[in-house]
Amino acid sequence: MFQLLNTILIGITAGAIYSLMATAIVLVWRSTRVINFAQAGMALLSTYFGYEAMVHFNSFWIALPVAMVGGAAVAALIELVFMRLLVKRSSTGPIAAVAPIIATLGLLGLIKGLISTFWGGADVRLVGPVTNIGYSIGDKTLAFSPLKLLTLCTVVVLMLLLTVLFQKSNIGLSLRASAYSPEIARLSGVKVDFVRTLGWSLAGASGAVAGMFQTVNGNGAFSPESIEFSLLLISGFIAAIIGGLESLIGAVIGGLVLGLVVSFVLMYISSSLFFIAPFLILLIILFIRPQGIIGVKAARRG
Amino acid sequence: MDKLKGANKLGLYVVSGFILFLLGNRVDELRVYQGASIAVFVVAISSIILLTGYSGQVSLGHGALMAIGAYSAVISRNSFHTPVILTFVIAVLIAAIGGALLGAAAARLSGPYLAGTTLALAIGLPSLANQFSILGGEQGIFFDVGFPPPSLGEGFTQYKWFFWIAALAALISMWLVANILRSRFGRNWRAGRSNETAAALSGINVSRSKILAFTISAGVAGLAGALLSMTIGIVSPSAFPLTLSFSLLTGAVLSGVSTLSGVMIGAVTLVAIPEIADAVATRIGVSERLTTNLPGLMVSTLLILTVLFVPNGPVEQHRTRQARKAAREKH
Repeated sequence: MFQLLNTILIGITAGAIYSLMATAIVLVWRSTRVINFAQAGMALLSTYFGYEAMVHFNSFWIALPVAMVGGAAVAALIELVFMRLLVKRSSTGPIAAVAPIIATLGLLGLIKGLISTFWGGADVRLVGPVTNIGYSIGDKTLAFSPLKLLTLCTVVVLMLLLTVLFQKSNIGLSLRASAYSPEIARLSGVKVDFVRTLGWSLAGASGAVAGMFQTVNGNGAFSPESIEFSLLLISGFIAAIIGGLESLIGAVIGGLVLGLVVSFVLMYISSSLFFIAPFLILLIILFIRPQGIIGVKAARRG
Repeated sequence: MDKLKGANKLGLYVVSGFILFLLGNRVDELRVYQGASIAVFVVAISSIILLTGYSGQVSLGHGALMAIGAYSAVISRNSFHTPVILTFVIAVLIAAIGGALLGAAAARLSGPYLAGTTLALAIGLPSLANQFSILGGEQGIFFDVGFPPPSLGEGFTQYKWFFWIAALAALISMWLVANILRSRFGRNWRAGRSNETAAALSGINVSRSKILAFTISAGVAGLAGALLSMTIGIVSPSAFPLTLSFSLLTGAVLSGVSTLSGVMIGAVTLVAIPEIADAVATRIGVSERLTTNLPGLMVSTLLILTVLFVPNGPVEQHRTRQARKAAREKH
């Protein structure tokens, strides 16, 4: 019973972080119809921004917004300079279908290489604002700590903010309109190009939060080659696809499903299934519903 | 070129084989080894070109298919002492079966969904080696294709033997792939790539044709995997990292993703970049950090520049320019 509770709590916390990463991927997909493989690289870069802020100000609560703003700025820059050129240059010929995938993979390599050049490959440390030692019930220690609670709260607040932005504001309306049909949105006066850049920066910011919390929830150390970031790359992506790529709620559900299932597999079957479990989950779900849990059938032709 | 008959084309491959044979005798050990690596990449990249350029399916998981080929080769070699040729045939067959299974899943998916599934495979599959003791865990299993036959003489080195095997395998598989691409199957793939509905209306079973493409591509990738583990002498999960799958895509893009004839460009670039990076680093005397990261940075930059400025590859670019020039001269 106690083990079951622990497994669920670990799964939910991990799932919440995956949800953020999945949200970033969904935001980019909705605004530009590109799957951004570089998202985890951008999250890593933002985490390094956060680390620099931490070194200077020694406060997580300054580091987090710095990472978010940095992540948003980098994402906007990439969209403005790089993606627009890509759309213009390689939208014809046999490459058209794969160009965005390949280009963002190149971007991932470039970002990782630049990070390793500037900060080196060694681990750097990031300390959370509250302790990661679990709450105790009687003589047992839960796998749920103040830090994990904080993670969950942050994710919930951010998701609520994003939902309000999308459903209640004019900007959200134009974001949804450009995702639905760029051509019609442009005709009705939506500045589609601006909206795209905005979608990328929102994604950059939520990726940054995912990166920061992934690091402090792990052992606090991170590096370009650390396992936490490979996991973030894969999991965010799988969560987004499980959720169907089209909606924020899908991203959240995808993240939680992935987090919980992986947590149960690791606890009850074998801990060496760490990397193969997400793949199997993805295969099973795609066999049942090729368009993801919350997906539109036509969307998978995108 | 198109006017050449199949038999003449075969002659072309025999001639290139002979040139390679002469070259192999004249260069030093390091170059011979690099030649073997180039041959491995030629095989691997042609499997990507077949799949992505012709059938229009993206795979980020070809590193995993290469691993399947390598592991089946080493297991059959070590447990059943199969002859070298049979070992590679087994690698091709088992990887092709894996590819058929993956292809059956892939035919239901498209674009980002397929990319995601294969990406998860590339990360997940090599880690399975730690799960079963027969696969040798993290440290891997030794793979030995044996010494070169004594009839080749005293001075015939191991690396030269690798080069012979790899180059021969590359020539054979290139010839096969080129012919498949020009056959009915190749046409079906291209038709399905450009317009699925139109292809289905003209009587092509699109999903079967896609699965076939995945199967053949996986078989070729399996061969590349077995060759790769032959040249490094060991089969382990770390020989098939995610970056391998990414480099193969890079190689395919540099070659021109729909032009098999450009495959040498990608393969040579992938092998040459570490050396070029090294030369640049020592010439300018950059910091140690930059030196270690320079090859990766160069590959990524090259990939991005290619996608932006020569998106369909140098061969296609050249062809388009020639066609435009011809059109202008007519007027």
